[in-house]
Amino acid sequence: MDEIQYIGEHLWPGRIGHFAILLGFVTAILATISYLLGSLREDQAPEEGRSWKQIGRIGFGIHGVSVVLIMSLIFYIMINKYYEYNYVFAHVNEDLPFQFIFSAFWEGQEGSFLLWMFWHVVLGAILIFTAKRWESSVMFGLSLIEVFIMSMILGVYIGFGDDPFRLGSNPLLLLRDTMDAPIFQNADYLSLIKGTGLNPLLQNYWMTIHPPTLFLGFASTSIPFCFALAGLIKKDHTGWIRPVMPWASFSAAFLGIGILMGGAWAFEALTFGGYWAWDPVENMSLVPWIVLVAGIHTNLIAKNTNYSIRSTYIFYLLTFIMIVYSTFLTRSGVLGETSVHAFTEMGLEWQLVAFVAFPFLLSTVLLVRAWKSIPAPKKEEASASKEFWMFIGSLVLLFSAVMISISTSLPVYNKIMQWFDPAFEGRVINDPVAHYNKYQLWIAVFIGLMTGLVQYLRWKEMNWAKYARKYLIHVGASVLVATVLTVLTATWIEMFTWQYATLLWCGLFAFAANLDYLITIAKGNIKLAGSATAHMGFGIMILGVIASGLNQFHISSNPFAQRGLIDEERLGKNIMLFKGMPMFMSGYKVTYLDDEFEGNNRIYTLNFQKMSEAGDIEQEFNLYPTALYDNKVTKVAAYNPSTKHYLGRDVFTHIATIPRVEADAEYAREREDSLKYRDYLLREDQAIPVYDTVVVRDSQVVRTYFLQVEEIFQDDRHEGYEPQDGDLAVGLRLKMEDGRRDTVFTAEPMIVLRGNLLYTYPVQVQDLSLKVKVDERVFDRYLVPEELLQYDTLVFKIGEQRRLSKFDIQFRSFNREPKHPSYRPAEGDISVGAILDITNRETGEQRSAEPVYVIRDRQPFNLKDIVDEMGLHIQFVGLDPVAETLSVAIAEHVLDSSTYPIELAYSPRTDFVVLEAIVFPGINFFWLGSILMMVGLLITMGVRMGERFRQAQLA
Amino acid sequence: MKKTYIVGLVMIIAAISLFTLAGKDMSSYSTFADARESGQKVTVAATLSKDKEMTYDPTVDANFFSLYVKDGEGEERKVILYAAKPQDFERSEQIVLTGTMEGDTFMASDMLMKCPSKYKDEEIYIQGEQNS
Repeated sequence: MDEIQYIGEHLWPGRIGHFAILLGFVTAILATISYLLGSLREDQAPEEGRSWKQIGRIGFGIHGVSVVLIMSLIFYIMINKYYEYNYVFAHVNEDLPFQFIFSAFWEGQEGSFLLWMFWHVVLGAILIFTAKRWESSVMFGLSLIEVFIMSMILGVYIGFGDDPFRLGSNPLLLLRDTMDAPIFQNADYLSLIKGTGLNPLLQNYWMTIHPPTLFLGFASTSIPFCFALAGLIKKDHTGWIRPVMPWASFSAAFLGIGILMGGAWAFEALTFGGYWAWDPVENMSLVPWIVLVAGIHTNLIAKNTNYSIRSTYIFYLLTFIMIVYSTFLTRSGVLGETSVHAFTEMGLEWQLVAFVAFPFLLSTVLLVRAWKSIPAPKKEEASASKEFWMFIGSLVLLFSAVMISISTSLPVYNKIMQWFDPAFEGRVINDPVAHYNKYQLWIAVFIGLMTGLVQYLRWKEMNWAKYARKYLIHVGASVLVATVLTVLTATWIEMFTWQYATLLWCGLFAFAANLDYLITIAKGNIKLAGSATAHMGFGIMILGVIASGLNQFHISSNPFAQRGLIDEERLGKNIMLFKGMPMFMSGYKVTYLDDEFEGNNRIYTLNFQKMSEAGDIEQEFNLYPTALYDNKVTKVAAYNPSTKHYLGRDVFTHIATIPRVEADAEYAREREDSLKYRDYLLREDQAIPVYDTVVVRDSQVVRTYFLQVEEIFQDDRHEGYEPQDGDLAVGLRLKMEDGRRDTVFTAEPMIVLRGNLLYTYPVQVQDLSLKVKVDERVFDRYLVPEELLQYDTLVFKIGEQRRLSKFDIQFRSFNREPKHPSYRPAEGDISVGAILDITNRETGEQRSAEPVYVIRDRQPFNLKDIVDEMGLHIQFVGLDPVAETLSVAIAEHVLDSSTYPIELAYSPRTDFVVLEAIVFPGINFFWLGSILMMVGLLITMGVRMGERFRQAQLA
Repeated sequence: MKKTYIVGLVMIIAAISLFTLAGKDMSSYSTFADARESGQKVTVAATLSKDKEMTYDPTVDANFFSLYVKDGEGEERKVILYAAKPQDFERSEQIVLTGTMEGDTFMASDMLMKCPSKYKDEEIYIQGEQNS
């Protein structure tokens, strides 16, 4: 086959990109080797060590430049919408607003790997400037991780034959190299394709900020990991304990913020109805955070007492191993149906397994090799010392992480078992939320208790007998405060079970004790404030979880209408709202006011009025939940919620469903085609009864309506009709009454003849569930074949009157700007209308008519006017400018009857939404508590950085 | 023995016993036959019977959705879910139902769907087709 010369492709970004990927990969390897040699040699041969370090820096520097270059190139081809590239084609489309280019960038796996590497590069640069003697050994680990991540986007085939092993997936591949489609036979295929676009669910500002923050958290866990590796390689087990501390706090803060943003996204913009669902992907980002927090605590012990150095190693190493394990779970597709937000598979499963196995094996080998040399005091910790109980607390955290990991790994277990035994039936957790809550509740109880009890303890307690009294006073006071707070809380929310009451008490105890510690012991000392703030935050968060989680309740039900008819547990969670029709639900009066499109987002306006017992409006607000359509605006892709925030509670609403004809354009067409229209002849002088049989579940209901024509019109009253030149448009204004004749509705369906095509503009009468359209036979009265008409020609001067059978016709005037339903003025037209006043001598009825004469492009033609009521067809046939006379041809054609044909079909109403609304009491406690935890971690980071800085000054 | 070892040991024992207890939280997917025999709440993996009628008319009841599914052994049953019909239900390949058998009908309290990924294997859009 000949090579096709494609038109309009931009190949240079791809070529530079391929080179940059290879360069970045090779230089990461170079940096790894150089830094390793540097760290091994620097103690014996400082000169040699420095040289290796220099090479390592250069390698890492070039690697960093390559990563930035690759990212810039991808942004460049995305911004310019070069669809010849697969990544652009798959993630961008023409309508994608600029601010979502970033989201589109990290929507794909390759982009998110790049983001991860980018943060490593940034953190690595900071380390090069600040790590001093730890630089080589720490950067060795970081460079090594970069080698692994870079291999994920390498896109190199290893091996031969039909199915070579593919190493990584290159984001700069051309579309025609990844897909085999006949369209690529066309040299100009680019002009024919357009991008798939960003998943509409992700077109949201959370997608712009959540992934970068989370990946900064992910990337920063590498630093404690690398410090631990460095300690093990150099067998300097105490030296790294201090420099790692600010990094660990930084990492815990940003990983925590990243996870919280995910929760906030889920709550604010998705319809999960909560901020945490124990989804595998959520769990596996929480687990490393818990392990890291455990590590921070043992790190603190190690710094103050030299105990727990081994556990600090283990925790920091494990944190990163859990990060790569979670990467494996999310990206390999192994989670399958158990998670809502796993990436799609990329065919890199084995590479991901290697990515998990490698840090695990390396850590294990190094740890075993160095185990004996790690110092551990022979003497046991004192029973009343801070270090002992803090260590126990860390073990509890580890325990929690292990429990969550094992449950979450069930799909992996299933996969492994099926590998050995294909007949193995996979197992699932029946009710994940209950399962996790059941165990984690007790963990939280322990942690709550310990954060209070341990905070007051002292390092290496030497004189417990003397301190015990003071200790007990503080603890006693906190117990008292916690108990009072628990009782107060119980008047506001329900606890349901004693387990939850215990948990609440423990959370409030943690809060009270740490507040007391902050005020009476830390006395505003910033060094001690970080931990107290974070622990207080934990306590408040527990309160928020219990308040909003246990006490959330659906308000979108109408129990008065439904209770007694169905089981209590099946009392609906959804309520139906008709447009403009107020509905009462659980103390609220809700009205669906309106909806409108903004791009592919359909925004509904719902008005909420909270009613008091007496029926007064206590509060009023509008909420705007939306239906998000796909990028082609043919089908609803998702419903997004809208939330009213109060200090004490949130009112969360989302649309559960909208009528299918509104949600799916294809179905709407099918539906329209399947409607069973029946013909009726309506009259102007009387209402015609119409019967309709409707099936409602199991029974048949006969409905009656009375229909009457009020008016026949020819202007463009239907919103869907846009008039064009030469149209013949007819509309009927119908008066429709329901069977009880107590409500009247009007509808104005239209039918239009344009050239040889008929266009009908039906009207859905929502309240009657009827669809009505004008039958084409209505044209019979307009399209009387000309040969049936007998025209008489009359000649007028202005003001003259003529007589034709029973009509008196008077020529009133010319109209230089004539109006005619079928006439649209065009440039260069010469047009004139003749206004005629016609009187029926027998009935005295008076009408006016305006036939029009037009010369367009030197072609004269006339547009006849039909005076429907009199059966007169009037043509403007000519005018004599000299004699100033007008010639008019008039024919009389009496209509055979005064009936109007219409078609009518039963069509369920389409102006409603099904709404779910939930009140979350006290959810702000959750946000406040978790934010305080992060603030506490950041304070700690700042304090540790200050310590490092002062040490450096002293040195 | 050191205190920390004792604590560690207690935790390991606790973990093992908890997971033994947690065993009942997990199960393989059941069939309608299992549900009938046990009378308990079970989880059934099923496929939608696309030829059978699906009823959801919010104008009548916004919390009533009925459908027919086939379980792993091919047994077909009517399922009633007292909730709104999930979005894009027609596309679902596999449905995971939690609930009990009541007579011949499976009363579902929860329903999870597995859909083919919307953004995978998507064909190339041709601009010409878009405009038609």
